[in-house]
Amino acid sequence: MAKANDIPSAFSETLVEAGARYSGVVVLNADLADSCKTEAFCDAFPERAFDLGVAEQSLPTFAAGLALVGKIPVYNTFAVFAVHRGFDMIRQSVAYNRANVKIIGHAAGQSMGYAGPSHHTIEDLAAMRALPNMVILCPSDAEETRQMIWWMVEYEGPVYLRLTRASGPPIHAPGYKFELGKTELLVDGRDVSVFSTGDLVMLSMELQGKMLAEGISVQVVNVPTLKPLPPQEIIRHAQHTRAALTIEDHNIIGGLGSAVSEIYAEHVMRPVKRLGIPDTFTESDDCDVLREAYGISVERAAQAIHSLLDQ
Amino acid sequence: MTDYKNIPDMPLKTPLDPLKDQLAIRDLQLAALAIRRKILYMGHRNRIKLHYGALLSMVELVTTLYMHWLNIAPEFPDWPDRDRFVLSKGHGAPALYIALWMRGFFPESNFDGFRRLHSILQGHPDHLKTPGVDCSSGSLGQGMPVSCGMALGAKVDDAPYRVYAYMSDGECNEGSIWEAAQIASNLGLDRLTVIVDWNRKSSYGFMEGRNDIEPLCDKWLAFNWEVFECDGHDFVSISRALFEADAVQGRPSVVLAHTVKGKGIPYVEFYETKAHILLTQEKYEECLTHLDQIEEKIING
Repeated sequence: MAKANDIPSAFSETLVEAGARYSGVVVLNADLADSCKTEAFCDAFPERAFDLGVAEQSLPTFAAGLALVGKIPVYNTFAVFAVHRGFDMIRQSVAYNRANVKIIGHAAGQSMGYAGPSHHTIEDLAAMRALPNMVILCPSDAEETRQMIWWMVEYEGPVYLRLTRASGPPIHAPGYKFELGKTELLVDGRDVSVFSTGDLVMLSMELQGKMLAEGISVQVVNVPTLKPLPPQEIIRHAQHTRAALTIEDHNIIGGLGSAVSEIYAEHVMRPVKRLGIPDTFTESDDCDVLREAYGISVERAAQAIHSLLDQ
Repeated sequence: MTDYKNIPDMPLKTPLDPLKDQLAIRDLQLAALAIRRKILYMGHRNRIKLHYGALLSMVELVTTLYMHWLNIAPEFPDWPDRDRFVLSKGHGAPALYIALWMRGFFPESNFDGFRRLHSILQGHPDHLKTPGVDCSSGSLGQGMPVSCGMALGAKVDDAPYRVYAYMSDGECNEGSIWEAAQIASNLGLDRLTVIVDWNRKSSYGFMEGRNDIEPLCDKWLAFNWEVFECDGHDFVSISRALFEADAVQGRPSVVLAHTVKGKGIPYVEFYETKAHILLTQEKYEECLTHLDQIEEKIING
């Protein structure tokens, strides 16, 4: 059977495989097993799958309890609820206990376009980055999703996996291997480094082609680990270009743009521009329409690159 | 791998009989007295305000659990089959620390650094720093839901241990408690006993007419829990409630323990509102004299 090329299906399939290999994996849902694509796991391992009901602040606490008695709990709901509804529970019961809890934030960013701002997750990276002991992963395609799930289940400690609903052709070269904290150079370039994460890495690739046609050499870097992000993993790319652009489906405050800017300010000292949601609550529409409206598009990225190079 | 072969046999977990178990009860009374003395000493020696009211209302319950009930092995704090204890009212940490020290989880010298930098004894329980602490706590309304997760793990593994959570009555104001209570009964978590320290005062004073939780018994019954009540300062009553709670099948149990805030130290007991106080030398000595008199009564029968 051909493997799925969309992130949610890759998650669904790999979770079942991981559950088959590791009997400690326990899946918690909050009335959204269908939307989170965990039904396959529930069917395969009904004795290790529990639906807590519409009770999202209990996901982190129940998961922490399971982890503290040796299980590998994986809890699932939309990212906006997975992180924010029970954030104090994540802080106190998961991160402070260093409990082996896997938090899956589904349909992150503006993935749930039409549902509107109540269901858009624009501040999860900011909140989670500030938590000690927390690992934050954000896959760019189906293959990276699969690798992250295997890594996450084998790692002992809290992990936040931020998933979008994207699908598309594979981004990574055959044989690519995800490693915690490592950035991935997808295309080398001399003028501007473009750092992006999640499904917006696809947009960066498109941007690179467009700029090349204009004679501008763009370096494309995938940042799959938002935390920990060792400075060297940014510096080693930054030293070859004149400026940086960050692209993310998140508020420009506190996410990838902030993480990269922090490293540039302390170590690189070259100009940085951040593309993302400009510190505003979003609105309802198709995800792509919304991204474009908030400046997350190839066109706006190209403008940003021109202004960076004019500086 | 740790060798767990030397774990002592499971305690009998039997209710105490007021006639047949007189000696055991006297030992528990003396242990409770020692815990009260140490609570006063911890606050006085370190010149810090402690939640004396909240701590003193826990003493008999914590004594029963740690000296008579919990199946634990201090020499193997991580023994996978041990009973779990979660102090959901994290501000009761000093009482828990004293019980853990008395059972031999760590040496007494650790009390010198209580609440200080690099100490294993933090202001609130820290699972990663203190041997014997099964879960960090301090943000009210979380330890109880975490204990539900532990009981779910015990059920998935068909493990031999039981999970005990210790809550304050003020904590029943937290919505997270009732969310977890509903889930726990839906999942049939019968390896779980939640103890509510029902002293009728929260931090700011009496709860009646302000942040009332009544009818508390009916609330737990409505959430499909098995409910038991006991006198939280009477070892016989406590042990009977724990015994009955342990025997319940198919649903979780709650023990509503009637307690008195500041119990055993008249100066604290009669504090109208806040019992989060600093003891003067004079008051400290007065409290100790009172405890000496109680001890004499216990010894002389």
